[in-house]
Amino acid sequence: MTRTKLWMIAYRGLTRNRRRTFFTMLAVALGLALLITLNGYISGVMEDGLQNSIRLQTGHVQVRAAGYPDGKHSVQWKDLIERPEEIAAQAMAMPEVRAAAPILWLDAVLSTGEESVGLQVYGIDVNSPLHDPLRASVIAGAFLEATDRSGVLMGGRLAQSLNLKVGDTVPLVTINANGEPVEAPFVIRGLFSSGVLVYDESVLFMPLARAQSFALTGNRASAVMIELHRREDADKVAVALAQPGLQTFTWRDLNAFILQSMDAAFSFYILMDAIVIMIVAVIIANTLLMAVFERVREIGILAALGMKRLEILLMVLYEAAIIALAGVVVGIALGLLGVFFLTQNGFVLGEMATTAGNLPISNVVYARFAPDLFTWLAVWTFLIALLASLYPAWFAARLEPVRALHTE
Amino acid sequence: MPIIELFDIHKTYRIGEVETRALDGVSLNFEPGEFSAIVGPSGSGKTTLLQIMGCLDRPDRGIVKLDDRDVTRLNADQRAELRRNVIGFIFQFFALIPVLDAYENVELPLLLAGVGARERRERTLEMLEAVGLSDRIHHRPNQLSGGQQQRVAIARALVKRPLVVLADEPTANLDTANGEQAMEIMQRLNEQTGTAFIFATHDPRVMKFARRTIHLVDGRVAENHAPVPVEAAVRSLSHPGEPRA
Ligand SMILES: Nc1ncnc2c1ncn2[C@@H]1O[C@H](COP(=O)(O)OP(=O)(O)OP(=O)(O)O)[C@@H](O)[C@H]1O
Ligand SMILES: [Mg+2]
Repeated sequence: MTRTKLWMIAYRGLTRNRRRTFFTMLAVALGLALLITLNGYISGVMEDGLQNSIRLQTGHVQVRAAGYPDGKHSVQWKDLIERPEEIAAQAMAMPEVRAAAPILWLDAVLSTGEESVGLQVYGIDVNSPLHDPLRASVIAGAFLEATDRSGVLMGGRLAQSLNLKVGDTVPLVTINANGEPVEAPFVIRGLFSSGVLVYDESVLFMPLARAQSFALTGNRASAVMIELHRREDADKVAVALAQPGLQTFTWRDLNAFILQSMDAAFSFYILMDAIVIMIVAVIIANTLLMAVFERVREIGILAALGMKRLEILLMVLYEAAIIALAGVVVGIALGLLGVFFLTQNGFVLGEMATTAGNLPISNVVYARFAPDLFTWLAVWTFLIALLASLYPAWFAARLEPVRALHTE
Repeated sequence: MPIIELFDIHKTYRIGEVETRALDGVSLNFEPGEFSAIVGPSGSGKTTLLQIMGCLDRPDRGIVKLDDRDVTRLNADQRAELRRNVIGFIFQFFALIPVLDAYENVELPLLLAGVGARERRERTLEMLEAVGLSDRIHHRPNQLSGGQQQRVAIARALVKRPLVVLADEPTANLDTANGEQAMEIMQRLNEQTGTAFIFATHDPRVMKFARRTIHLVDGRVAENHAPVPVEAAVRSLSHPGEPRA
């Protein structure tokens, strides 16, 4: 029998109960739209966290001294890079590199009259384009000058919680390269808001030279931080900069933990996706089964006229395929619309963002188009819907023509 | 040579503990081009017999030969193949596909049989013309009268030029005029095409058209009035009630 005619009968079957067909299609569409939107958003959150981490903490590539300890800061000379400017210059000469500059990390304690807070101090090359985003995020006062001997840039939230403002002087204590505690007063030149709450609450910036003199490190730096045009070039650049006595890291190494927790989170979301897809599948199976029950007689007639079991099976499957395909198409459209909306209008996560563990999530997070993920979801929704229709199709194919005809 | 041969057909339905003996040793032959009625009281097994002849159902015991081929042990797909090629059905409730229009309903058996598009169209239109429905080809079943629906069913049964058309109470849901018209059309098509017609019926109007009447009682053949040659008919008149050999 010509396949097209099977399609035609299947299609006619659908137009019979338009409302039911429509709502089933809608169930598929809404299910998929929900999945696409959610996954687009989650993907946005993850990517945002990763981007923030790269932008604010790790860069795309880092060069450190071979001895620099893992997971904590050290300002001992043996742990630092001796001539960081040379490495930065070498990196800057590479076409893949957008910006490169030395950085010095210190642990410090800030004390006001009432309280003390542990902070991280980043000594930065304030003229490097590496810090353009920071420059742009200044919300009060001014950005730092390279020659400033006492200025610091503080997160707006931290300042607020400590009741400080631009122009205030605060004492900072750190352990210097010789292992001695040292204290010095600093003036708050400006306040920044990076959009990442954890960051805004615990990081203080000062010019590299001042950080070096504060901790007695000479010209040394903790690392040379490198930003690339494309993060895919990280391995290449890392390899090019490798030399004895140094170790290089890519953003993958540096964000291993984040990437890992992203994977873990994704398995959870896959479970959620599976549940939604299953619900859609049950709805399809149910509708088709109802449609088959309703047409027991009609199927009996087709069987009496000589339609074979496989043909009846295919006919019902075609019906399912049409519903599923229409649902998937509409679902993709609605889902992309949802994602688009969330790329324009982010959710303000506020306090929730600070509790997201190690993921430095922005205050406002936007969805992201993840074509691979969306295709995957659409294909699975379609396949599972077809799979779910196997039972009704099998049921229809198994009907005896006689019994089917007796139903009047 | 007969087109259908039935040897000692038995069929018992079981619903739970209850057994109904629907056919109890039926042996019958049907010749090409016959126009016969199977009559008998309700529950006597007429429908069951037609279903077994039409390969819609299988007997518990006995042999069914269709066109000299034993069909008793064929599987579901092989029986479907036979139904699509050599048997036409007409049912009491017309049994049209409600979502297809008259044209599509008549075309369906040709599609199932894999007839090419051009021939399909010609034969479909020809059959619709033969049953007088050329002006109704795009009407859905629910837009047709009962008589018109049954005529679509007749066209559908005949369009594939089957060996035999099996009709179960084809006039039961038609008024007298429509019933007569349906019978006349079938008689004419029987004469024109040579397709055999076998009816199961209570309807005296159908019996009146039939050239042979088979009486079923309790799943057995009680009387079998074959199309008799004149002298045999005279003999049977002179000896009423004498059972046939
Ligand atoms: N599917 C079935 N299951 C159980 N019993 C059945 C089934 N079909 C028929 N019967 C029984 O078999 C017997 C013969 O039924 P059948 O339908 O062949 O009779 P019929 O001569 O066609 O009757 P009618 O004139 O009322 O249509 C009846 O007693 C009926 O109740
Ligand atoms: Mg009957």
